[in-house]
Amino acid sequence: MTQQRLADRAGCTRQTIIAVEQGKYVPSLELAFRIAKALGVPVEEVFQYEDP
Amino acid sequence: MAPLQRRALFGLLFGVVWIAAMMAVFLSKGGAQSFDQDADFRLLIDGLWIGGLLVYLALFATITRQRARFDERDKLIMDRSARAQWLAALFSLVAWIIGLSEFYRSEGQIPIVFLYIIFIFVLAIGSMAQSAGILIGYWRMNRDG
Repeated sequence: MTQQRLADRAGCTRQTIIAVEQGKYVPSLELAFRIAKALGVPVEEVFQYEDP
Repeated sequence: MAPLQRRALFGLLFGVVWIAAMMAVFLSKGGAQSFDQDADFRLLIDGLWIGGLLVYLALFATITRQRARFDERDKLIMDRSARAQWLAALFSLVAWIIGLSEFYRSEGQIPIVFLYIIFIFVLAIGSMAQSAGILIGYWRMNRDG
């Protein structure tokens, strides 16, 4: 899936997807769930929390 | 480049051209004294700044209509840019007040035309500062996260 297609499905811009992939932006819970849904996987498979 | 980023860049460039055009017209028509005496001159300046303001507002109004192209990250950057807008307006007003007070102190009054000029200037500078704030916001977010 292309970044643009993922962005369209998740309802955000391609630049936001890029920023999320690069770890330069932490999405809101809502956007995180939308991205996971767009990918067809549980949110835990897309986003993991690491202790600082 | 994100849509909001592109519009901010256009807005900033438009603002520079807008202010330059208004200053050129103002000075070429004779400046403050002519502005006071010539109603057509005042109408021309009013038309330029109101027209420019409407164009500028239309630029940002088009973003919010398309939900997918204005997401939470864009909104966060735009919210942060409001601080730049506020600071630019505040410093502009301080500079104008001090400058005009000192310049016209011996006369005891400031020409009424400066009400126009200050308002237009602060409005334009505030708008440009918002655009600059948005561009800086994207740059910082891309650099630091």
